[in-house]
Amino acid sequence: MLDAFSRTVISADAKNTAIGSGELATLRNYVAEGNKRLDAVNAITSNASCIVSDAVTGMICENTGLIQAGGNCYPNRRMAACLRDGEIVLRYISYALLAGDPSVLDDRCLNGLKETYIALGVPLQSAARAVSIMKASSTAHINETNTTGTNPDETRFRKMETVQGDCSALVAEAASYFDRVASALA
Amino acid sequence: MKSVVTTVVTAADAAGRFPSQNDLEAVQGNIQRAAARLEAAEKLANGWEKVTREAGDACFKKYPYLKQQGEAGSTQTKVDKCYRDLGHYLRLINYCLVVGGTGPLDEWGIAGAREVYRTLNLPTSAYVEALTYTRDRACSPRDMSPQALNEFKSYLDYAINSLS
Repeated sequence: MLDAFSRTVISADAKNTAIGSGELATLRNYVAEGNKRLDAVNAITSNASCIVSDAVTGMICENTGLIQAGGNCYPNRRMAACLRDGEIVLRYISYALLAGDPSVLDDRCLNGLKETYIALGVPLQSAARAVSIMKASSTAHINETNTTGTNPDETRFRKMETVQGDCSALVAEAASYFDRVASALA
Repeated sequence: MKSVVTTVVTAADAAGRFPSQNDLEAVQGNIQRAAARLEAAEKLANGWEKVTREAGDACFKKYPYLKQQGEAGSTQTKVDKCYRDLGHYLRLINYCLVVGGTGPLDEWGIAGAREVYRTLNLPTSAYVEALTYTRDRACSPRDMSPQALNEFKSYLDYAINSLS
Protein backbone atom coordinates (compact mmCIF):
# COMPACT_ATOMS: atom_id res chain seq x y z
CA MET A 1 0.00 0.00 0.00
CA LEU A 2 1.26 3.45 -0.92
CA ASP A 3 0.36 7.01 -0.08
CA ALA A 4 1.09 10.22 -1.95
CA PHE A 5 4.56 10.38 -0.39
CA SER A 6 5.64 6.79 -0.94
CA ARG A 7 4.31 6.91 -4.52
CA THR A 8 6.82 9.71 -5.21
CA VAL A 9 9.55 7.63 -3.58
CA ILE A 10 8.79 4.58 -5.73
CA SER A 11 8.96 6.55 -8.95
CA ALA A 12 12.15 8.38 -7.89
CA ASP A 13 13.77 5.07 -6.97
CA ALA A 14 12.97 3.67 -10.40
CA LYS A 15 14.90 6.61 -11.87
CA ASN A 16 17.65 6.28 -9.26
CA THR A 17 17.43 9.96 -8.33
CA ALA A 18 16.88 11.88 -5.13
CA ILE A 19 13.56 13.68 -4.73
CA GLY A 20 14.11 17.34 -5.57
CA SER A 21 12.12 20.54 -5.67
CA GLY A 22 9.96 19.55 -8.63
CA GLU A 23 8.34 16.50 -7.05
CA LEU A 24 8.26 18.15 -3.63
CA ALA A 25 5.98 20.88 -4.96
CA THR A 26 3.08 18.43 -5.39
CA LEU A 27 3.72 16.98 -1.94
CA ARG A 28 3.82 20.45 -0.41
CA ASN A 29 0.43 20.95 -2.00
CA TYR A 30 -0.83 17.76 -0.32
CA VAL A 31 0.46 19.14 3.00
CA ALA A 32 -1.00 22.59 2.45
CA GLU A 33 -4.38 21.13 1.49
CA GLY A 34 -4.18 18.53 4.25
CA ASN A 35 -6.98 19.86 6.40
CA LYS A 36 -9.32 20.04 3.42
CA ARG A 37 -8.53 16.42 2.67
CA LEU A 38 -9.26 15.35 6.24
CA ASP A 39 -12.54 17.28 6.16
CA ALA A 40 -13.42 15.52 2.92
CA VAL A 41 -12.71 12.09 4.42
CA ASN A 42 -14.73 13.09 7.46
CA ALA A 43 -17.64 14.21 5.26
CA ILE A 44 -17.73 10.76 3.67
CA THR A 45 -17.24 8.69 6.82
CA SER A 46 -19.75 10.68 8.89
CA ASN A 47 -22.41 10.13 6.26
CA ALA A 48 -21.38 6.67 5.14
CA SER A 49 -24.59 4.81 5.93
CA CYS A 50 -26.66 7.57 4.35
CA ILE A 51 -24.55 7.54 1.18
CA VAL A 52 -24.65 3.75 0.89
CA SER A 53 -28.33 3.23 1.61
CA ASP A 54 -29.33 6.05 -0.74
CA ALA A 55 -27.22 4.59 -3.51
CA VAL A 56 -28.67 1.09 -3.11
CA THR A 57 -32.20 2.50 -2.84
CA GLY A 58 -31.65 4.53 -5.99
CA MET A 59 -30.30 1.52 -7.83
CA ILE A 60 -33.39 -0.49 -6.88
CA CYS A 61 -35.83 2.32 -7.71
CA GLU A 62 -34.44 2.38 -11.23
CA ASN A 63 -34.65 -1.39 -11.54
CA THR A 64 -37.40 -2.75 -9.27
CA GLY A 65 -36.87 -6.25 -10.59
CA LEU A 66 -33.96 -6.49 -8.17
CA ILE A 67 -36.23 -6.87 -5.12
CA GLN A 68 -38.83 -9.11 -6.69
CA ALA A 69 -38.61 -12.84 -6.17
CA GLY A 70 -35.61 -14.06 -8.16
CA GLY A 71 -34.00 -10.61 -8.20
CA ASN A 72 -30.49 -10.12 -6.95
CA CYS A 73 -31.53 -8.08 -3.90
CA TYR A 74 -34.17 -10.63 -2.87
CA PRO A 75 -34.51 -11.89 -0.13
CA ASN A 76 -33.24 -9.72 2.75
CA ARG A 77 -30.08 -11.73 3.06
CA ARG A 78 -28.96 -10.70 -0.40
CA MET A 79 -30.12 -7.12 0.12
CA ALA A 80 -27.94 -7.04 3.25
CA ALA A 81 -24.99 -8.35 1.26
CA CYS A 82 -25.55 -5.59 -1.27
CA LEU A 83 -25.57 -2.87 1.41
CA ARG A 84 -22.49 -4.39 2.98
CA ASP A 85 -20.61 -4.38 -0.33
CA GLY A 86 -21.57 -0.76 -0.92
CA GLU A 87 -20.13 0.12 2.44
CA ILE A 88 -16.93 -1.82 1.74
CA VAL A 89 -16.38 -0.04 -1.57
CA LEU A 90 -17.00 3.34 0.05
CA ARG A 91 -14.63 2.45 2.88
CA TYR A 92 -11.76 1.66 0.53
CA ILE A 93 -12.46 4.85 -1.39
CA SER A 94 -12.21 6.77 1.88
CA TYR A 95 -8.83 5.11 2.53
CA ALA A 96 -7.63 6.05 -0.94
CA LEU A 97 -8.78 9.63 -0.46
CA LEU A 98 -6.98 9.82 2.88
CA ALA A 99 -3.77 8.41 1.41
CA GLY A 100 -4.01 10.46 -1.78
CA ASP A 101 -3.25 7.34 -3.80
CA PRO A 102 -5.49 4.62 -5.27
CA SER A 103 -3.17 1.66 -4.53
CA VAL A 104 -5.06 0.55 -1.40
CA LEU A 105 -8.33 0.56 -3.35
CA ASP A 106 -6.78 -1.40 -6.23
CA ASP A 107 -4.96 -3.98 -4.12
CA ARG A 108 -7.50 -4.68 -1.43
CA CYS A 109 -10.86 -4.05 -3.06
CA LEU A 110 -10.89 -4.04 -6.85
CA ASN A 111 -8.39 -6.82 -7.47
CA GLY A 112 -10.61 -9.74 -8.55
CA LEU A 113 -13.86 -7.98 -7.64
CA LYS A 114 -15.32 -8.28 -11.14
CA GLU A 115 -14.45 -11.98 -11.34
CA THR A 116 -16.03 -12.58 -7.93
CA TYR A 117 -19.22 -10.78 -8.92
CA ILE A 118 -19.44 -12.71 -12.18
CA ALA A 119 -18.97 -15.98 -10.30
CA LEU A 120 -21.66 -15.02 -7.78
CA GLY A 121 -24.05 -13.81 -10.48
CA VAL A 122 -24.10 -10.21 -9.22
CA PRO A 123 -25.23 -7.88 -12.04
CA LEU A 124 -22.21 -5.66 -12.77
CA GLN A 125 -24.29 -2.91 -14.33
CA SER A 126 -26.38 -2.50 -11.18
CA ALA A 127 -23.28 -2.49 -8.99
CA ALA A 128 -21.70 0.19 -11.20
CA ARG A 129 -24.91 2.22 -11.02
CA ALA A 130 -24.86 2.14 -7.20
CA VAL A 131 -21.24 3.27 -7.26
CA SER A 132 -22.09 6.16 -9.57
CA ILE A 133 -24.85 7.29 -7.20
CA MET A 134 -22.40 7.07 -4.30
CA LYS A 135 -20.05 9.22 -6.36
CA ALA A 136 -22.69 11.89 -6.87
CA SER A 137 -23.68 12.05 -3.22
CA SER A 138 -20.13 11.79 -1.86
CA THR A 139 -18.91 14.66 -4.02
CA ALA A 140 -21.93 16.66 -2.87
CA HIS A 141 -21.04 15.89 0.75
CA ILE A 142 -17.44 17.00 0.18
CA ASN A 143 -18.60 20.19 -1.54
CA GLU A 144 -21.42 20.62 0.98
CA THR A 145 -23.89 21.06 -1.84
CA ASN A 146 -25.95 18.12 -0.60
CA THR A 147 -29.69 18.70 -0.26
CA THR A 148 -32.63 16.73 1.03
CA GLY A 149 -33.69 16.20 -2.58
CA THR A 150 -37.29 15.24 -3.14
CA ASN A 151 -37.76 14.23 0.48
CA PRO A 152 -37.95 17.31 2.74
CA ASP A 153 -38.06 15.10 5.86
CA GLU A 154 -34.68 13.57 5.14
CA THR A 155 -32.64 14.05 8.32
CA ARG A 156 -30.01 11.36 8.14
CA PHE A 157 -27.21 13.31 6.57
CA ARG A 158 -25.20 15.85 8.47
CA LYS A 159 -24.26 19.17 6.94
CA MET A 160 -20.60 19.70 7.80
CA GLU A 161 -20.00 23.08 9.35
CA THR A 162 -16.67 23.73 7.71
CA VAL A 163 -15.67 26.98 6.05
CA GLN A 164 -16.59 27.07 2.37
CA GLY A 165 -13.56 26.96 0.10
CA ASP A 166 -12.35 25.66 -3.22
CA CYS A 167 -12.47 21.87 -3.03
CA SER A 168 -12.56 21.25 -6.77
CA ALA A 169 -9.23 19.40 -6.83
CA LEU A 170 -10.26 17.09 -4.00
CA VAL A 171 -13.69 16.49 -5.49
CA ALA A 172 -12.05 15.57 -8.80
CA GLU A 173 -9.70 13.22 -6.98
CA ALA A 174 -12.53 11.54 -5.07
CA ALA A 175 -14.56 11.24 -8.27
CA SER A 176 -11.61 9.55 -9.96
CA TYR A 177 -11.63 6.83 -7.28
CA PHE A 178 -15.33 6.14 -7.86
CA ASP A 179 -14.68 6.05 -11.60
CA ARG A 180 -11.90 3.57 -10.93
CA VAL A 181 -14.39 1.24 -9.27
CA ALA A 182 -16.85 1.68 -12.13
CA SER A 183 -14.22 0.88 -14.76
CA ALA A 184 -13.00 -2.12 -12.76
CA LEU A 185 -16.55 -3.50 -12.95
CA ALA A 186 -17.04 -2.68 -16.63
CA MET B 1 5.46 1.10 2.37
CA LYS B 2 5.28 2.02 6.02
CA SER B 3 4.25 5.58 6.81
CA VAL B 4 1.77 7.20 9.19
CA VAL B 5 -1.02 7.13 6.61
CA THR B 6 -0.50 3.52 5.57
CA THR B 7 -0.24 2.40 9.22
CA VAL B 8 -3.51 4.13 10.04
CA VAL B 9 -5.24 2.67 6.98
CA THR B 10 -3.94 -0.83 7.69
CA ALA B 11 -5.26 -0.68 11.25
CA ALA B 12 -8.64 0.65 10.13
CA ASP B 13 -8.87 -2.00 7.43
CA ALA B 14 -8.03 -4.81 9.85
CA ALA B 15 -10.93 -3.67 12.02
CA GLY B 16 -13.17 -3.14 8.98
CA ARG B 17 -14.07 0.41 9.91
CA PHE B 18 -13.98 3.78 8.26
CA PRO B 19 -11.10 6.13 9.21
CA SER B 20 -12.01 7.39 12.69
CA GLN B 21 -11.47 10.79 14.28
CA ASN B 22 -8.33 9.38 15.92
CA ASP B 23 -6.99 8.22 12.57
CA LEU B 24 -7.61 11.60 11.00
CA GLU B 25 -5.85 13.35 13.87
CA ALA B 26 -2.83 11.06 13.56
CA VAL B 27 -2.61 11.98 9.88
CA GLN B 28 -3.04 15.64 10.70
CA GLY B 29 -0.17 15.51 13.18
CA ASN B 30 1.99 13.92 10.51
CA ILE B 31 1.03 16.62 8.02
CA GLN B 32 1.86 19.39 10.47
CA ARG B 33 5.37 18.08 10.92
CA ALA B 34 5.82 17.51 7.20
CA ALA B 35 7.17 20.98 6.38
CA ALA B 36 10.46 20.35 8.23
CA ARG B 37 10.89 16.92 6.62
CA LEU B 38 10.25 18.22 3.13
CA GLU B 39 12.65 21.11 3.68
CA ALA B 40 15.38 18.71 4.76
CA ALA B 41 14.65 16.46 1.77
CA GLU B 42 14.89 19.38 -0.62
CA LYS B 43 18.14 20.74 0.85
CA LEU B 44 19.67 17.27 0.82
CA ALA B 45 18.65 16.71 -2.80
CA ASN B 46 20.17 20.05 -3.79
CA GLY B 47 23.50 19.30 -2.11
CA TRP B 48 23.42 15.56 -2.70
CA GLU B 49 26.55 15.28 -4.85
CA LYS B 50 28.61 17.52 -2.60
CA VAL B 51 27.48 15.78 0.58
CA THR B 52 28.29 12.39 -0.95
CA ARG B 53 31.75 13.51 -2.01
CA GLU B 54 32.59 15.03 1.38
CA ALA B 55 31.38 11.91 3.19
CA GLY B 56 33.51 9.64 1.00
CA ASP B 57 36.56 11.88 1.35
CA ALA B 58 36.17 11.80 5.13
CA CYS B 59 36.08 8.03 5.20
CA PHE B 60 39.19 7.56 3.04
CA LYS B 61 40.96 10.23 5.11
CA LYS B 62 40.28 8.39 8.34
CA TYR B 63 41.03 4.93 6.90
CA PRO B 64 43.77 5.51 4.27
CA TYR B 65 44.68 1.80 4.42
CA LEU B 66 41.51 1.11 2.43
CA LYS B 67 43.31 2.17 -0.73
CA GLN B 68 46.16 -0.30 -0.22
CA GLN B 69 46.56 -3.45 -2.25
CA GLY B 70 43.93 -6.07 -1.39
CA GLU B 71 41.71 -3.70 0.58
CA ALA B 72 38.14 -2.58 -0.21
CA GLY B 73 39.30 0.55 -2.09
CA SER B 74 42.39 -0.80 -3.86
CA THR B 75 41.35 0.34 -7.35
CA GLN B 76 39.60 3.45 -8.61
CA THR B 77 36.61 1.33 -9.61
CA LYS B 78 36.22 0.14 -6.04
CA VAL B 79 36.62 3.66 -4.68
CA ASP B 80 33.94 4.87 -7.08
CA LYS B 81 31.62 2.14 -5.83
CA CYS B 82 32.17 3.33 -2.27
CA TYR B 83 31.06 6.82 -3.24
CA ARG B 84 28.13 5.34 -5.12
CA ASP B 85 26.99 3.40 -2.06
CA LEU B 86 27.19 6.48 0.12
CA GLY B 87 25.10 8.27 -2.48
CA HIS B 88 22.57 5.43 -2.19
CA TYR B 89 22.35 5.84 1.56
CA LEU B 90 21.83 9.58 1.25
CA ARG B 91 19.23 9.05 -1.47
CA LEU B 92 17.36 6.61 0.78
CA ILE B 93 17.53 9.14 3.62
CA ASN B 94 16.04 11.66 1.21
CA TYR B 95 13.19 9.19 0.58
CA CYS B 96 12.72 8.60 4.32
CA LEU B 97 12.42 12.34 4.84
CA VAL B 98 9.74 12.47 2.15
CA VAL B 99 7.78 9.48 3.47
CA GLY B 100 8.20 10.46 7.11
CA GLY B 101 9.27 6.97 8.19
CA THR B 102 12.17 4.56 7.92
CA GLY B 103 10.45 2.40 5.27
CA PRO B 104 12.81 3.13 2.34
CA LEU B 105 15.97 2.66 4.43
CA ASP B 106 14.60 -0.54 5.95
CA GLU B 107 13.48 -2.09 2.69
CA TRP B 108 16.20 -0.98 0.29
CA GLY B 109 19.16 -0.13 2.48
CA ILE B 110 19.29 -2.23 5.61
CA ALA B 111 17.57 -5.50 4.75
CA GLY B 112 20.35 -7.89 3.77
CA ALA B 113 23.10 -5.26 4.00
CA ARG B 114 24.99 -7.05 6.76
CA GLU B 115 25.09 -10.29 4.76
CA VAL B 116 26.19 -8.51 1.60
CA TYR B 117 29.00 -6.64 3.35
CA ARG B 118 30.22 -9.80 5.01
CA THR B 119 30.22 -11.75 1.75
CA LEU B 120 32.02 -9.01 -0.15
CA ASN B 121 34.40 -8.45 2.78
CA LEU B 122 33.56 -4.76 3.09
CA PRO B 123 34.20 -2.84 6.32
CA THR B 124 31.03 -1.27 7.74
CA SER B 125 33.11 1.03 9.92
CA ALA B 126 34.04 3.00 6.81
CA TYR B 127 30.37 3.67 6.06
CA VAL B 128 29.81 4.58 9.68
CA GLU B 129 32.66 7.07 9.55
CA ALA B 130 31.32 8.65 6.36
CA LEU B 131 27.78 9.00 7.67
CA THR B 132 28.97 10.24 11.07
CA TYR B 133 31.03 12.89 9.31
CA THR B 134 27.93 13.97 7.38
CA ARG B 135 25.90 14.11 10.57
CA ASP B 136 28.46 16.19 12.47
CA ARG B 137 29.20 18.43 9.51
CA ALA B 138 25.57 19.43 8.95
CA CYS B 139 24.64 22.53 10.90
CA SER B 140 21.85 25.02 11.22
CA PRO B 141 21.08 27.59 9.90
CA ARG B 142 23.82 27.22 7.26
CA ASP B 143 22.40 24.01 5.78
CA MET B 144 18.76 23.97 6.86
CA SER B 145 16.42 25.06 9.65
CA PRO B 146 16.84 23.48 13.14
CA GLN B 147 13.73 21.28 12.85
CA ALA B 148 14.73 20.08 9.40
CA LEU B 149 18.24 19.35 10.65
CA ASN B 150 16.80 17.34 13.51
CA GLU B 151 14.81 15.17 11.11
CA PHE B 152 17.82 14.73 8.81
CA LYS B 153 20.14 13.73 11.64
CA SER B 154 17.70 11.25 13.11
CA TYR B 155 17.66 9.27 9.85
CA LEU B 156 21.45 9.47 9.59
CA ASP B 157 21.63 8.05 13.11
CA TYR B 158 19.24 5.31 12.13
CA ALA B 159 21.49 4.32 9.22
CA ILE B 160 24.62 4.55 11.40
CA ASN B 161 23.09 2.34 14.08
CA SER B 162 22.08 -0.27 11.53
CA LEU B 163 25.69 -0.49 10.29
CA SER B 164 27.51 -0.45 13.61
